[in-house]
Amino acid sequence: MSQKLPPVFQHPVIQNAFDHLEAGRLDRREFIRIAALLGASAASAYALVGLPSPAYAEGSLPFPPDDSKAKAGGVFKIAMQVQKLEDPATFSWTQSSNQVRHTLEYVSMTGPDNVTRPMLAESWSASPDLKTWTFNIRKGVMWHNGEELTADHVAWNLKRWADPATASSNIGLSIITGMLHDTGKKDDKGAPIMGLSDGAIEVADKYTLRLHMNKAVLSAPEDLYNYPTAILHPSFKAPISEKIIGTGPFTLAEFKVGDKCILKRVSKTTDGQDFKYWGGKVYLDEIAYYNFDSDNQLPAFASGDVDGVYDFNVEQVDLAKSLPGVIHKARTAQCICCRMQVDQKPFSDKRVRQAIAMTVDNSTIKGLIYTDGGDVGEDHHVAPVHPDYFALPAMKRDVEGAKKLLKEAGFEKGLEVTIDVGNTDGPWHQTACEAMRDQLKEAGVNLRVNVMPAAKYWEIWDKTAFGCTAWTHRPLGTMVMSLGYRTGVPWNESHYANPEFDKALDAAEATLDVEERKKKLAAAEKILQDDAVMVLPLFRPIYTIVAQKVNGYEGHPTQYHQFNKVWMA
Amino acid sequence: MLKLIGSRLLQMVFIMGVVSLILFAIFDSDKFKKQIAVAELGGFAVSALSDKDYQAWLDKKGLNTPFYVRYANWVGAVLHGDLGKSFEKNEPVSGLIAERLERTGVLAFWVFALMIPLSLTFGVVAGMKEGSAQDRVTSFISVFTTSLPEIATAIFLTVIFALTLKWLPANAAMVNGWDWRALVLPVLTLVLYDFGYVARMTRASMAEVMSSQYIRTAVLKGLPYRRVILRHALRNALIAPFTIIVLQLNWLLSGVVVVEVFFQYAGFGKLLLDAALFGDVYVIQAATLVAVFVAVLSQIISDVGYTFLNPRIRFA
Repeated sequence: MSQKLPPVFQHPVIQNAFDHLEAGRLDRREFIRIAALLGASAASAYALVGLPSPAYAEGSLPFPPDDSKAKAGGVFKIAMQVQKLEDPATFSWTQSSNQVRHTLEYVSMTGPDNVTRPMLAESWSASPDLKTWTFNIRKGVMWHNGEELTADHVAWNLKRWADPATASSNIGLSIITGMLHDTGKKDDKGAPIMGLSDGAIEVADKYTLRLHMNKAVLSAPEDLYNYPTAILHPSFKAPISEKIIGTGPFTLAEFKVGDKCILKRVSKTTDGQDFKYWGGKVYLDEIAYYNFDSDNQLPAFASGDVDGVYDFNVEQVDLAKSLPGVIHKARTAQCICCRMQVDQKPFSDKRVRQAIAMTVDNSTIKGLIYTDGGDVGEDHHVAPVHPDYFALPAMKRDVEGAKKLLKEAGFEKGLEVTIDVGNTDGPWHQTACEAMRDQLKEAGVNLRVNVMPAAKYWEIWDKTAFGCTAWTHRPLGTMVMSLGYRTGVPWNESHYANPEFDKALDAAEATLDVEERKKKLAAAEKILQDDAVMVLPLFRPIYTIVAQKVNGYEGHPTQYHQFNKVWMA
Repeated sequence: MLKLIGSRLLQMVFIMGVVSLILFAIFDSDKFKKQIAVAELGGFAVSALSDKDYQAWLDKKGLNTPFYVRYANWVGAVLHGDLGKSFEKNEPVSGLIAERLERTGVLAFWVFALMIPLSLTFGVVAGMKEGSAQDRVTSFISVFTTSLPEIATAIFLTVIFALTLKWLPANAAMVNGWDWRALVLPVLTLVLYDFGYVARMTRASMAEVMSSQYIRTAVLKGLPYRRVILRHALRNALIAPFTIIVLQLNWLLSGVVVVEVFFQYAGFGKLLLDAALFGDVYVIQAATLVAVFVAVLSQIISDVGYTFLNPRIRFA
């Protein structure tokens, strides 16, 4: 009989996860993640499994504890692209969210340890079937205009994300899709129009928000730290750069797209009161982002212009190692997906797609680009870093098999195809495609690599028959599969439509038992891999560097900046 | 002369009208509207929008207004000094253009200040004695520096002076305020690239003059060589380089994109590139007007200068 857990771990899914942990079928870190998602405190979960807890502030604050050696004041200068700030719900880049991350805050906050803690919510709980989530909004959180944050304000944001007219990518998050229903109408593209279900968002009282879903959702708190889910004041009008009302310790003091974004501490509210920040001590006086394209960030650091960079490319690792500074590397699920549209010739023939996938050796490409770090892709988009990843048997290169398939498909004399590449994450995209081109030659496939500016690529990313698209890190495998491969979803760039796959994914999402969930996701992984929808050569690590005088900085797998406890020596 | 300037200005207005109309028509296409939407909302968000919501977004941005109406409105506004508002940067285009022109102006000033005396001196000295050692050395240096693309020169200079010797900053973003040191590498890159071209042209012009009969006569008359060069040869030899140097104004305005982007110098060229990638039609329009203005202005300066340098040229 399994050990009965203390009342703080009362949720049945936590008990189930603990049983798996005891049986050796669940990793301790994954248990902590699940326990925290279901409302238990991260510190008690760390204690329960006997892992040293990373230092965190006492109480329910999601930040590291105060540092007795910390010096208040100073400016932290970071090289990053300074992007347009229009509507935070439609941000499509992490950089723009970082520009306002210390002004606009989130309901929850996922730390560098991948554990999600309450932020603007003080706590949360889920019903045993994971269909009803209750968020207790933190009391005493002050907006920059002097008002207090309430559950109504958060509800306003959720409703806005669920409205298709907002064009927010948040609509694809499980927390939102779980509250939508099919209205029976079709849009101009023939896709069903989804609407927010009546009563799905319930404001129980001033500080209590209850969400009612039509399916089990485990990731609700994680979803609420997705970068476009920053909580806005209901008076918001785009562009946010002109008038920003947040709850964070900093506000926009100076902003010029493509130049700089300067954040300074808030001391007074717009109605003249003293501003009291809910999150405890903050050391920096100013956070200053200066615009540098990705290739120029490290040279700017080398020149001493900035104290840190957003990221640097794998080609710059040697240069970074030669500089005085602290390099942070994180394992992620960021990748390129060379996907083929299954309804466009010649990729409409499954044998052609399979031949291409069989000829490409992902491990060689990964080794060529990332000699240190990174994971080999398995052509199904779930990464080893995902907690719900299931390792399928290793893929083997089979050139002869590919030739046979191409012959059957009528391409015995060779096949000419073009892949569009935008290098949206750096020139390594092109390197990967060129390596694919060389490998594909052996099977008689002549691949033309069509390189275009990143901005141009984003115009055609979902239209080109064969394209190399960068996908960012998402905390769960089910999340990325739901966003990219479910029939008819907006970001299904491969136009893949397979009821069997949808069913397998539904089954995985609805399974609360952690081990069972992995097995069910394995079925979805296998279907996608067998259907050869994509060549996904690798999952990349991310690199960043900060000066030695920067204290309290921790690299985050999603490149989210969390500077509340950063201080300058 | 006044007639010439008048006709050039009329030409300028005509070119501005035609170019702006063509640009407006091009940017009215669905493709470019989509480009703005993608740049502003992101590729992922645009593909999630239904056609109805996309059209509503275009309405909000004023992009659904017929292009001739938008064009007429824009021309009216331009005549009142309003160049519109940048889609990307959310600020008035006139302020943006003025700020960037000033920065590129500073860059251009220093490039000219170094490049003109340097290239003229080397060109004249080389052309004085065709085939001499000084001619061969100058020609070699000129061909070498000009044949190197700006991006290669920029990389070499950065590696040597910024990353290895650490004498100069590697970029010219000037995040800590205006810094003359940061301007050195971009200026040097442009000077090296342009110097060879102007020096070669000056050399050719000087060599041609030096082989003309009136110079030979002057030498045979026993005039001091120094006087032959300064009083007789130089004035004629400088006509061609003068035209070329004035025309470099155009190159310095919009041809410096590579250098401005490489060194992260926020000038006119970088603004133009950003605007083109974003599909920021009002910035592109304004930048085009400025480019046409500078092109015509440089032609006028060149024509007027010609008449002073060569009295045989008269404009009817």
